[in-house]
Amino acid sequence: MTRILEVSGVTKQYGGLVAVNDVSFDVDEGEILSVIGPNGAGKSTLFKLIASFVKPTRGEVRFKGERISGLAPHVVARKGVVRTFQETTIFKGLTARDSVVVAHHLRSHVGLAGFYLGTAAARRDEEEFGRSADEILDFLGLGEVRNEIASTLPQGSLRALGIAIGLAANPKVLLLDEPFAGMNHDETQHAVELARAVRDRGVTLLLVEHDMGAVMKISDRIVVINFGVKIAEGTPAQIQSNDKVIEAYLGVEDDTIGL
Amino acid sequence: MEQVIVNGLYLGAQYALIALGLTLIFALMNVLNFAHGQMYVLGAFVVYTIYGQLHMPFVVALVASALTLAVLGGLIERFLFRTVIKRSVRDESTMLLAAAVAYFLDAVILLLFGEKQRGVPKIISGTFISDNLIIPYDRVLVAGLAIVFIATFVLMMQYTKPGRAMRALAQDRVAAQLMGVNVEFYSLIGFALGALLAGLVGGLLVTITGVNSGIGGPISIKAFMMVMIGGAGVVGGAIAGGFILGMMESVGLSVLHAYGDITYLVIFVALIVFLSIRPNGLMGKPWG
Amino acid sequence: MLMSRSNSLTAVVVFLVVVLIIVPLAISATHRTDLFYTLSSVALLAIASGGVWLTFFIGRINIGQGAFALMGGYVSAILIVTYGVSFWLSLPLAGLFCAGASILIGLPILRLRGVYFAMVTLVLTEVVRLLTLAVPITNGAKGMVSIPPPGELSIFGLTLIPSFATMSERNEAFYFLSVIAMCLCFAALYRLVQSRVGRLFVALQQNEDLASSMGLNVPALRVLAYSISSFLGGVCGAVFVAITQSIYPSSFTIADSVNFMLYCFLGGLGFVFGPMLGTLVLYFGWDLLFATGEYQLLIYSGVLILLMLALPNGLLSLRKFNWRRS
Repeated sequence: MTRILEVSGVTKQYGGLVAVNDVSFDVDEGEILSVIGPNGAGKSTLFKLIASFVKPTRGEVRFKGERISGLAPHVVARKGVVRTFQETTIFKGLTARDSVVVAHHLRSHVGLAGFYLGTAAARRDEEEFGRSADEILDFLGLGEVRNEIASTLPQGSLRALGIAIGLAANPKVLLLDEPFAGMNHDETQHAVELARAVRDRGVTLLLVEHDMGAVMKISDRIVVINFGVKIAEGTPAQIQSNDKVIEAYLGVEDDTIGL
Repeated sequence: MEQVIVNGLYLGAQYALIALGLTLIFALMNVLNFAHGQMYVLGAFVVYTIYGQLHMPFVVALVASALTLAVLGGLIERFLFRTVIKRSVRDESTMLLAAAVAYFLDAVILLLFGEKQRGVPKIISGTFISDNLIIPYDRVLVAGLAIVFIATFVLMMQYTKPGRAMRALAQDRVAAQLMGVNVEFYSLIGFALGALLAGLVGGLLVTITGVNSGIGGPISIKAFMMVMIGGAGVVGGAIAGGFILGMMESVGLSVLHAYGDITYLVIFVALIVFLSIRPNGLMGKPWG
Repeated sequence: MLMSRSNSLTAVVVFLVVVLIIVPLAISATHRTDLFYTLSSVALLAIASGGVWLTFFIGRINIGQGAFALMGGYVSAILIVTYGVSFWLSLPLAGLFCAGASILIGLPILRLRGVYFAMVTLVLTEVVRLLTLAVPITNGAKGMVSIPPPGELSIFGLTLIPSFATMSERNEAFYFLSVIAMCLCFAALYRLVQSRVGRLFVALQQNEDLASSMGLNVPALRVLAYSISSFLGGVCGAVFVAITQSIYPSSFTIADSVNFMLYCFLGGLGFVFGPMLGTLVLYFGWDLLFATGEYQLLIYSGVLILLMLALPNGLLSLRKFNWRRS
């Protein structure tokens, strides 16, 4: 297994608040790794740091040995590290198909001028994008709604659309932002299968998630974060029996019950 | 040197008052009141008419100016902005409505008062002269009044019920509604208050620099700049912006005098550079 | 698509026939040659408004187009008068100069959004005006006058367009120049919007973060749109100079910048030809109101306000426009 993503000593400080504190872990190619932790643990900041939407105060992130932290987000996406967003982040006015087609832009062989002039090469690209978009939409079960305007789609479809957009960008590593949030049992099962299918296409998956159940089912390995600090790392079995993890999650539950 | 500073200070006080009105309207309704300069001009002309032409006491004229603008502001909010805000999809609509209102007021002012530069008698005559300073008393009075008004405004916003309601509204419209704040009523009050402030400054400054129908636009621009420097929607920012612009103008006019009319060019370029580095201004909300 | 392909083609042909054949004949027949000047102005202002429309398209409110109209006008004037360059060359050069300047300005300011961006662009028009007053090459407040009309355009000895100085019906010639320029510019804009590049602009306007995550170089795309917009502004200014044969620091002011925005908006921001419609209605409307003398601005702005109240989303909102592809 080769290491595809290395997170080394990443820290993010906002004034006096340390959101992420010296977190390090590696991701192997082809694995599904989940980052979990209670709410407010710093998961989403870590997520943004890896995708380079935020610059680390200290530490770095490397992709295939090359440093990506601090680069512009679109550059990182072009290298192959693509993130998805929560379902409210879409192109409201575009159809599902159009959104996915646009996301193929990374794969174009032709410059903007070519697209403007409509050269033969540009048209070939467009046909290719269309085909690929259809394939991805079918793969994710969105074939039926492909020509619907994104803002009219139900939440579940929007999630899938977010992943479709991510896949269109031809990622080596796909960062999924809380893909199981708010799902019932059947939906979760379906999403787990989908995630495995994506991995089988050759995409390494890094999830940030809050829902323990789904994470246990799907992950090869898990990293646990609390208060910005990594408190555990290991297989699902190891994590489930890890005292610190139990304390972190149970501690939170006690508060909510009011004991 | 001291003269430059003193000039800057009283310019700053007056400018701050203009900026306050604008920033209040912006904070409450997310509208940049293009017509702010025209409201200033109207206030000035009311004072010109009542104090200058009809020879009534200055205080009466000033109060009349404030009231006229408050009423006008209220009407504009109630019948124009409220409708457009409700029905439009885009932010730009309100900005364009404000631009149309500015043109309209310009037209009205031109028709009512003509193009000529108008002035009024000084409200206090006499000048303080020392070795390095020349300070006309009326300027001191005007600056002093401006500061009193600013202070009153700040205190009102901080401690009175309407003030608190407006601040809640500015922070979060939906939350304010849920807390029982009558959003429509306070939007109207806020706009009227903003207009009132513009009119007040106009009324004050007409005693020093006079007024003509064409200065509405440039005053709006200056007001925008102050609000941008200080941070849109923030009271402290408006005051800071006002004083900073006042100072920059004063310093610029004396230092760059030799090079001709480039004071404002320098100020503008500095503003663009500043905003590129600090888009929220000194204290403002992100993006406004 | 709004209409089927054959319908669109018919519409274009009809439009061209009206604008290039019927209107000129009608004007000549009624001897109202002043209308040539009015319509030329409409065409040129429409070009500038088209640029503003493009910046709206990427999600920015641009109230600074007057700056580039002024800049383009001056660059063209200086090239013609001081350096003896032919108008046919100075026109594209003026546009390119404005595009270049807008890249420099755009890089820092396009990060701003909403009102903040709008305010900075508002200031730009003043900056350019003050620059033209301060810089010696522009002849300061006196402006530049007696600028010769466009000369001959010939390639390899073949005269494509004769010198304007030789024309008897100059107003008509300027009309054709302006209208053809407008058609070319809007055709290019239309193509831009329909092409993949247009899709990229839509993506970035809808959601910049999402666009970045799919590898779109958002800052570069924004600057591209802004530079095209400014190019169009420069073209407007340059052709204006050819027609009026003069330029002053006050030729384009903040009021013009605001007007461009108004024209765009009233025509409807969802449709690339909106600015043409908006400019025609508003500018023609303004011109027609000239007969009301001192009430011109009052009536104009009054009508504008009423239009805003009735149609807060512009004229073309009367027809629903969505991005659905058939």
